[in-house]
Amino acid sequence: MTSSPSDTEATVHPLQEFADSAAETVGGEAEIQFDTIKLRVSADKWVDALTTARDDLDLVFFSWLSAIDWANDVEAGDPLKEEIEERIELLCTVSDLTEGRRVTFSTDLPTKKPSVDSIVEVYVGANWHERETAEMFGITFEGHPDPGPLYLPESFLGNPLKKSFPLLSREVKPWPGSVDVEAMPEKPSTENPEA
Amino acid sequence: MVTDTDLVRHLSEAQVSVELQTEEMTLNIGPQHPSTHGVLRLVARVSGERCFDVKPVIGYMHRGYEKLSEVRTYPQITALINRIDWVSGYANEIPFIVAAEKLMDVEVPERAQYIRVILTEMARVSSHLVFMASYPLELGAATPLFFALRDRERVLDLIEGVTGGRFHPNFNRIGGVKPNAGSGPTTKKTPQDLPAGFLGETNDAMNVVLDTCEEIEDLVAGNEIFRARTKGIGVLPAEVGAAFGVSGPNLRASGVKFDLRKVEDYLPYDKFDFDVVVGENGDCWDRWWVRLEEIRESVKIIQQAIDGIPPSGPLQAKVPKVIKVPKGETYVRAENPKGEMGYYIVSDGGPGPYRLKIRSASFSNISMLSWILEGVLVPDIIAIMGSLDFVLGDVDR
Amino acid sequence: MTQFITDMFSNFWVSLGGKLLLVALMVPLIGMLLGFAEMKLSAKMQSRVGPYFAGGRWGWAQLIADGVKFFQKEDLIPEDADRPVFKAAPILVLVGTLALFVVIPFGPGLVFQDLSVGIFYALAIASIGTIGVLMAGWSSANKYSLMGGLRAAGQLIAYELPLVLAVVGSVIMAGTMSMSGIVEAQISAGFPFVLVQFVGFGIFMVAALAELSRIPFDMPIAESELVMGYVTEYSGFRFLFFFLAEYANMFTMSAIAATLFLGGYWLPFVPESTLEFAGPLILIGKVFLLTFTMIWFRWTFPRFREDQLQTLAWKVLIPLALANIAITATLKVVL
Repeated sequence: MTSSPSDTEATVHPLQEFADSAAETVGGEAEIQFDTIKLRVSADKWVDALTTARDDLDLVFFSWLSAIDWANDVEAGDPLKEEIEERIELLCTVSDLTEGRRVTFSTDLPTKKPSVDSIVEVYVGANWHERETAEMFGITFEGHPDPGPLYLPESFLGNPLKKSFPLLSREVKPWPGSVDVEAMPEKPSTENPEA
Repeated sequence: MVTDTDLVRHLSEAQVSVELQTEEMTLNIGPQHPSTHGVLRLVARVSGERCFDVKPVIGYMHRGYEKLSEVRTYPQITALINRIDWVSGYANEIPFIVAAEKLMDVEVPERAQYIRVILTEMARVSSHLVFMASYPLELGAATPLFFALRDRERVLDLIEGVTGGRFHPNFNRIGGVKPNAGSGPTTKKTPQDLPAGFLGETNDAMNVVLDTCEEIEDLVAGNEIFRARTKGIGVLPAEVGAAFGVSGPNLRASGVKFDLRKVEDYLPYDKFDFDVVVGENGDCWDRWWVRLEEIRESVKIIQQAIDGIPPSGPLQAKVPKVIKVPKGETYVRAENPKGEMGYYIVSDGGPGPYRLKIRSASFSNISMLSWILEGVLVPDIIAIMGSLDFVLGDVDR
Repeated sequence: MTQFITDMFSNFWVSLGGKLLLVALMVPLIGMLLGFAEMKLSAKMQSRVGPYFAGGRWGWAQLIADGVKFFQKEDLIPEDADRPVFKAAPILVLVGTLALFVVIPFGPGLVFQDLSVGIFYALAIASIGTIGVLMAGWSSANKYSLMGGLRAAGQLIAYELPLVLAVVGSVIMAGTMSMSGIVEAQISAGFPFVLVQFVGFGIFMVAALAELSRIPFDMPIAESELVMGYVTEYSGFRFLFFFLAEYANMFTMSAIAATLFLGGYWLPFVPESTLEFAGPLILIGKVFLLTFTMIWFRWTFPRFREDQLQTLAWKVLIPLALANIAITATLKVVL
């Protein structure tokens, strides 16, 4: 069932208490968006925050780690509606194994030469996720035991998921924009992108 | 001068150490191999039959879904993402659609939710039947393959009857489900409800699936050789599994009673009565057994849903023609047959997401391959890998 | 006319040529028949139909078609392979099988050559196949084949011992090593030896399955792991030799088991005078029962892992076989 988004003014979100206590323990700011708790921490406290999460908050299950490239200039897709400060936001979701409470930790890294400490010591599973994020966004994870591309071949240049990386088929044909996809168009609106 | 006795005394005191020089061989298993479930490559250093270092190499099938999603609208992405885990096609769409619906604050009508539950559980049955078929085959028993796939065909035919596709249904729409329009001139514009007889036939098919589970259990579970090949092999302790991000039946086999269907509210599972199947030791046998029991639990859910489905009702909530999802971020995760699958949507108010992060189950499941395969025998590599039940599309996205 | 044929065949060379011709014809025929039986039986067990199109709705011509197909394929030899060894390996395996036919008694006096050391010769010749397997694995210049060959070496050598020890019980009871002699001993005793030697029979069948590299003992050819093991690089008629050798060997192993334990060409209530005609049919009937069991096992069980296989051979079968011999010998002396 879909539930309503966080009502900060009318009722208190059921997760608000947990979010606040988590933010206090870890030392960051919590925000609940659409049933997802997002805890912002600063980049130098990244590893400590996750260690606290694992040990004190009982969030032992490592779900995923990835990043978002907030950029105003995009090569593929639509640019942002409002101008924002360009950064790379690193996200890591961890959860517990009893009640299913999950927290998405987030930290901001500079767009040029982003680098952060690796959390492989805290959660072993972050190994592959960090490798993928590193090759897709160009982030350097200090202390990663086995850096190197995971998906991309050795000779690949560039970081594909950055907004500045073009999508080849979009170079050939411009982005159709908003298309009424409920009706059947004459020509297929889904392009088949690069092979 | 060295006398004979001196020499003899020396020789008798000589320590003769014969080191058996067995050469170490680098064996490349894959990417084309009958047993890796797709193009997975394992670079294994073996000595005799024991391998002591396994490095998986993935990415042969990386299709760049996350980048592709940035240039597609939400309904277009639905057509794309059911190809991630192609064995359980329908289940891939659910968390994405639910996340988009959350951002749009759309409430899905009840009948549509029941249909979603039925189809998701049928996808789970289908995926686990594939596992029942292929896992004994990798160990050498060829017959369960035919029994399991024979009944899977029935399930797939039913899914095709409703959605139009066996593996890639593309049946969800934001706000509900949308069956195919009819084919005649009058019915072309009217979306049809479920095909006539679908619910009854599904009920019958589920009874047949239960019988097949019995057959497979008789054939495989009591077999000493199967037990010897799987019991005690590839033990995964629960903490290691959780730290790696292993989820789904793999983690439950290690004794962790955690099922996202009970915890998350993406579909109305709280209306149905089913158990969470938990194993004991976390070895290959438990992973096999947990999946067999999960088929039975899914059949229970489907039969309860068929009994409880509202007899009529809208299938899709009112949504605008051009879907523009408001600004926001959310992460929704679901219990896919392979494990936890989730989508983190970052939306900026446009027709497509600004960033879509796909958390696929098999990616985390096999990230622990080099840990779990250390020091095992070569035939056990196959047994362990098969028991993890991964699909390369899920790994490589 | 019959006098002329009998005279002709009393010439040593003619009769030898005739026997060789007969063996050479029988082996492919039996291979084809058993292969076809396997296809159809496995299909029935798996709720499918099996060969359907070749030869009417029964598919009897399937294996003839397969044979022709194999013969007309290109002769592929990997570049790094050791050519003479590569070519010789299938021949060795097939020779081991062919030579076993010589001592099987199809009826009273209906044996190609009645050796006084019949069973001893049979078991010794059966080991030549092992060398062929090792040669195939080594010369293929392929890591998977090498692994298959090594596994095969370990397995085949390990299971030779239970095979040999299992027959000793029967030999002690018959008092002779000649195969016809053993059947005659069962005729005069009035019961097939399996009633007393059931342990030996069981061990023989298990060890025979292992010698044939069939599931549950097909580690050397573990299809889902090593592609095809030591046979990976073989194609065309060379592969056909391996294929035929496996099925013909199924026949000969079952025939030996039938002769030693089940009474060979004799059934208790069949009058002895008809055994000249009924004998071969009776023997083939028993062989069919045993091969049916072998096919049945293949499609029911998964395969053993190499170390479990070896444990079974060394720690279970050999002690059992030795105990069997001890008890049989004591009882033979006492009773």
